[in-house]
Amino acid sequence: MKTALNLQDADGFYEQLLDAHQGLSPRQSELLNARLILLLANQVGDGKVLRECVDAAGKLPG
Amino acid sequence: MAAPGDAAVAFGTGYAFTPGKGYVLPEYAFVEPAEIRSGDVARHPIVIIGAGLAGLTMACALARYGVPALLLDEDNTVGVKGASSRGICYTQKSLEIFDRLGVYGRIAAKGIQWSVGRTFAGKDEVYSFDLRQQGAYNLSSQPPFINIQQFYIEGFLVERIGELGGVDVRWNNRVTAFEQNAECATLSVSTPAGDYRIRTDHVIDATGSHTPFRQWVGASVTARKGDDRWCIADVRFTRRPPTERHTWIEAPFNDNRAVWQHLMGDDVWRIDYQMAPDADPQAVSRDDVVRERLARQFGADTEVEIVWVGPYAYKSECVDRMRHGRLFFMGDAAKVVSPFGARGGNTGIADADNLAWKLAAVIEGRASPGLLDTYHEERHEAATQNVLVSNRTARFLRPAPGVEKTFRDAALSLARQHPFARQLVNTGRMAIANPYSRSSACDRTGGLPVQNVSFSWPDGTPGTMNELLRWVDGKLLVLLFGDASRSSLERLRELSQTAPVRCVQVLGAEGRAGAVEHLRDPQGHLQGACHVFGHAWALIRPDSYVAATGESIDAALVHAVGRSLGTALEEEEA
Repeated sequence: MKTALNLQDADGFYEQLLDAHQGLSPRQSELLNARLILLLANQVGDGKVLRECVDAAGKLPG
Repeated sequence: MAAPGDAAVAFGTGYAFTPGKGYVLPEYAFVEPAEIRSGDVARHPIVIIGAGLAGLTMACALARYGVPALLLDEDNTVGVKGASSRGICYTQKSLEIFDRLGVYGRIAAKGIQWSVGRTFAGKDEVYSFDLRQQGAYNLSSQPPFINIQQFYIEGFLVERIGELGGVDVRWNNRVTAFEQNAECATLSVSTPAGDYRIRTDHVIDATGSHTPFRQWVGASVTARKGDDRWCIADVRFTRRPPTERHTWIEAPFNDNRAVWQHLMGDDVWRIDYQMAPDADPQAVSRDDVVRERLARQFGADTEVEIVWVGPYAYKSECVDRMRHGRLFFMGDAAKVVSPFGARGGNTGIADADNLAWKLAAVIEGRASPGLLDTYHEERHEAATQNVLVSNRTARFLRPAPGVEKTFRDAALSLARQHPFARQLVNTGRMAIANPYSRSSACDRTGGLPVQNVSFSWPDGTPGTMNELLRWVDGKLLVLLFGDASRSSLERLRELSQTAPVRCVQVLGAEGRAGAVEHLRDPQGHLQGACHVFGHAWALIRPDSYVAATGESIDAALVHAVGRSLGTALEEEEA
C-alpha cells in the first residue's frame, strides 16, 4: 500500500469527489461510494494491497 | 435417514406436502438381527451409521475393496420418509467416484446433464457460463454435472451394495448409545424386534446434521445460523423451460428475491424461491400460494403438476475434529453448508471416498493405522473451504440490511455495465474436488485430484483412469511417463514387490515399452490430469488423488509411497 502521495492532482480529485455527491440523497451517496470502491478496487487488483487498504481504512488515528 | 436435506434444515413442522403424485420411494425389509435372539455381542471391524449419500458411498466403496462392514439405518427407505427430494446436483468428481463404484451408468441414464448456467438480475442476464468450454472439465469421461433426485442415487447404491456383497445393511436399526475405550467402541441399537449391542473397531457417523454423536463424543462445532428462508417447488410443466441452470438474484416475479431453476430426472423441475426473512414455512408452502408463485414466473396459462414442496432454512456448521478416537464424522454429520454450489452432498461423497481406501488399506495391513488421521487433515481442510465458500454466497444472496445491501446493489448495477463486476455476482460457486495442501500423507507436489481421463491400452483399445484404479484394487499406483532406463524400471519392479504399489509406464504414440505394464497416452491427457510434464512419475492413490510427483525414480518416490501409507518406508526396504 502506498502511503506517500501518488495522486496526480490531489485537490482536483477531492473536489471531483465532492461534486459527484452534490444533490444526492444519503442513500444515493452511499450507493455511489460503494460503486466507486468496487471500481477503484478493480483498478488496484492486488489482493495484498487491497487488504492493507481495507485494514488502514478501519484504523482511525488514536 | 434422519436429517432432511443436504444442508436444508426443515423448520416449523418440517416438509410440507401438496396434492400431486409425489415421489414413490423403495422400502427395504427389516430383518431381525441374529444378535437379538442369541444375545451375543458381535464384533464388527467397521460400522457405518446412516444410509444417506455419504454412508452408502462409504459402504459401497468398502464392498468394492472387499472389506466387510455393517451399515445401520433408522428408517426403511432412502430419502426422508414422505419427503424425498433434497440434493439434486452432482459434480464430475462425484460422478467419477460413482463410476468406480459401478452405479454411474444408471445415474447418467436417469439424470440430466447440464453445462450452461445463466444469472439474471431483474430482467437482465448479468452472467452466463458454459462449463463445457472450460478446459478443466472436458477431459473426464464424466460430464461437468448431472442433476438427479438424491434418492435415485441412494437407491442405486443400495442395490449395488447388495450385488457386491460383504456389507450387511440393516434397516430400522437405530443407534441409541455410543461409548469407546482402548479396546473397542460399543453401540446400542434399537429395532422393532428388540434391542442389542455390537462392538466395533471403527464407527462412521453418517447420520446427517442432527447427529447424536457430536454430543456423545463431546465434539466442538463452529456454527453460524441466519434468517434466510427458501421454499422448493418440484414441478412438471406442459411447456418445458431450457436445460440450463437459471438463477435470479432479484426476480421481478418473486418480490425481487432470488429464484433457482433446475431440471432433474423424470422431467421434474426444481424451482427454489427465496422467501422473506423468517417467513412462516406453512404459509409459504400452501398449495394455492405455491401455484400463484409458479403462475407469476411461468404465466397463468402454463399447466403445472406439483410433485413436491419443501420449505427450508439453512445453517453452516463444522465439527472441529472429524475423528474422535474410533469415531469418524462424515457428510452432514461433519459439516453443514447452505445448498448454494452443491457443496453438501458432494462433499459427503468425497469424505466417504477418502476414508474408504484408507480404512481398507489399514484393515488389510497395507497401511499403518496412523494413516486414518489424514482423513481429518484432508477432509477438514475441504469442509472448512466449503463452509467458507458457501457462506460467501449466502451473504451475497441474503445481505444484511444497510451497508451489505448497498454493496450488493452496487455490484449488481456495475455487473450490468462492466464485465469485471460480473465476477462479484455470487449465486453459488460450484463444488470442486478440493485440493489437500497440508496432509501428512501428501507431498507438496501432490494433494490434487486426477480426472477420469482416457488413454489407450497396449492393444489399442481405449481405457480410463478409473479402469486403471480398479485394476490396482486399493493399492497405490505409480505412473512413469516417458522412456525409462533399465535401472529405473528395475527399481520400480523392486518397489512393487516390497510395497503395495503397482507401476505402469506411460508412453506417447511412439516410444518403446520397457515395462510389461504399460499404456499409451498419445494426446497427453493422462499426463496432464496427473499435473506433470516431460519425464516424470506420479504416485496416485485409490481415491484418484496425486500423493506426490517427481522426476527420477529415487528415494523421494520410496519416501512418498511410505507417506501415502502412513509409514516411513526407507530406501533400503525398496
